[in-house]
Amino acid sequence: MSHEIFMPALSSTMTEGKIVEWLKNPGDKVERGESVLVVESDKADMDVESFQDGYLAAVLMPAGSTAPVGETIGLIVENEDEIASVQEQNKGNQTEVSTSDQLELVSNKTEEKPVVQTENIKKEAEKVVLKSEKPVPSFNVDQINAATSNVSSRIIASPRAKKLASQMGVDLAKVHGSGPHGRIQADDILKANGQPVSIPWIGEGGSPASIPGANLGVERKPETSGNSFGNPGETVQFNTLQKAVNKNMESSLDVPCFRVGYSINTDKLDNFYKKVKQNGVTMTALLVKAVAKTLKKHPQVNSSFSENGISYPENINIAVAVAMEDGGLITPVLKEPCNTDLFELSREWKDLVTRSRSKQLEPDEYSTGTFTLSNLGMFGVDRFDAILPPGTGAILAIASSKPTVVANSDGSISVKKIMQVNLTADHRVIYGADGASFLKDLAYLIENEPETLVS
Amino acid sequence: MDNRTAIIKQPDNISSFNDVYKLQKEYQEALILDNSNPDFIWIGEHQLCYTLGRGSNYDNLLFSLDDEKYDVFKINRGGEVTCHMPGQLVTYLVLDLKNFNKDLNWYLRKIEEIIIKILGTFHIDCHSRKGFTGVWIGNKKIASIGIGCKRWITINGFSINVDCELENFNKIVPCGIDNCLMANMIDYNKNLNIQEVKRIVKKIIQEEFNFDFVSK
Repeated sequence: MSHEIFMPALSSTMTEGKIVEWLKNPGDKVERGESVLVVESDKADMDVESFQDGYLAAVLMPAGSTAPVGETIGLIVENEDEIASVQEQNKGNQTEVSTSDQLELVSNKTEEKPVVQTENIKKEAEKVVLKSEKPVPSFNVDQINAATSNVSSRIIASPRAKKLASQMGVDLAKVHGSGPHGRIQADDILKANGQPVSIPWIGEGGSPASIPGANLGVERKPETSGNSFGNPGETVQFNTLQKAVNKNMESSLDVPCFRVGYSINTDKLDNFYKKVKQNGVTMTALLVKAVAKTLKKHPQVNSSFSENGISYPENINIAVAVAMEDGGLITPVLKEPCNTDLFELSREWKDLVTRSRSKQLEPDEYSTGTFTLSNLGMFGVDRFDAILPPGTGAILAIASSKPTVVANSDGSISVKKIMQVNLTADHRVIYGADGASFLKDLAYLIENEPETLVS
Repeated sequence: MDNRTAIIKQPDNISSFNDVYKLQKEYQEALILDNSNPDFIWIGEHQLCYTLGRGSNYDNLLFSLDDEKYDVFKINRGGEVTCHMPGQLVTYLVLDLKNFNKDLNWYLRKIEEIIIKILGTFHIDCHSRKGFTGVWIGNKKIASIGIGCKRWITINGFSINVDCELENFNKIVPCGIDNCLMANMIDYNKNLNIQEVKRIVKKIIQEEFNFDFVSK
């Protein structure tokens, strides 16, 4: 019977890890708790240990390659005589970086046990990797010997180029380096690959699930460095997602848009959010719910331009813009929020975000929005305006909710949390008065009746 | 969070890299065997040496490994090649992350935050950069981070250039970043000295991780 070694999660935000080094070779005896390989994420290394006594039968992902968290990267067998058969079955995989399809095939072949058991092993693997139980026999290789590693295969490439090559399956040996002394640069990998592949990550900072108003008392250190997809002096090709966004942005130039803004007091909304947060409710779900409920009363703002006239969609579907860490953005859609309770809506949103991360959204989950939300509140911006996505009539830009000195109608002065929102709309179908009355009702709902957002 | 006991060592003289590395591994092994053992913090300076992480690219060493002028160590940490020398303050943390947060990304960001606080004490304005772990002043790197971990027990840590010969970095491609410029704290605050920085490093680590320090 063979047991799988999985790519462990070194942090809650990690989606993939790099195999730095296999400390054991196929065929080597391993003891429970012994380090088998080293995985790296950013500047941190983690030893991955065997969760049982046996033999390392197969290495499915070679050192230097990158694998998603949870991916099978190696196989351990209990008895020495099983090594040969497992190796035989995994022949194709051991010499090259396997595709996940091949891996699936492998596990089907080698595992005679029911799926349930695989689950158990997964759990056990986790347990042993993460918890300390028994004394570990230490792995006595003199690591302080710089000359041991593979100096012979001197392919000179920048770390970013190597990462890209690993992700795109480009063979570094076949790439001509354009850098100093033939060093392979990120550009060379992109060129060699023709069409760059985009692996979507949800930007941590762009997470639409909160606005800073919700984190009362938690002062975040301002991040002074920005995101960049290339190095100074480089020109980086657009990835597929960025190209798609470019096309949409360009087509917006044909739409006569206007903007209208509103300042909304969020004191009550923030208090309500604090109460429901422990039940898994996200700020995104609250805002989506508020917008959808208001749109129900203002069908004009949910409409869009078509050649035949003003098109009124059958449903209210709210798209929410989410930035991808490697460029581009995607707009997962919460369908019919008025018919879904707040808790279910929050769960749906979390699921959409998770699946956006692993690029598993179905087309109708990101292309069926009738109205779009863009929230940059988490960066503390006081206002911005958004560009209208094609096929829709309006988009709402949501800024940060900030303590603001407010003059009240009775002449008193107080400090209230104020959030500026800014609606961009297609003037062919939505007029200033439509937008303004929509915002007035949205503000009323958020300022006075946030608890009605529950259902 | 309850306070945890940590053993602290902060020698005044220059320490051998190899000896301190062995010491760290001993404390890490002890914590793996029994998590009631104390955490371990070491703050000091090394003689000139170059260290590589397990995944490091040898191409970033711009001299031959056979060159006996240079001490090179391959160690259990993430990241690319770096160099240590007198005038650079090195801090190692052997911590059981099970008592804090089992999340290496959290830990790296926490260390960046600690370094920014240390430099802030000396009125030096610095920042982290997304995707480039470490601490920066403008486009110059002032502090480097490299972490190893086994069963959530960490090893290695960070180094801050206080007042050192930055020319030594010209022998390598630091952190694998081409044209990476390095900086010294002294260039931004003439009045500091390494003993004072050492004292602040200890104080801020103690506050940030709620340690009761025991000298040994």
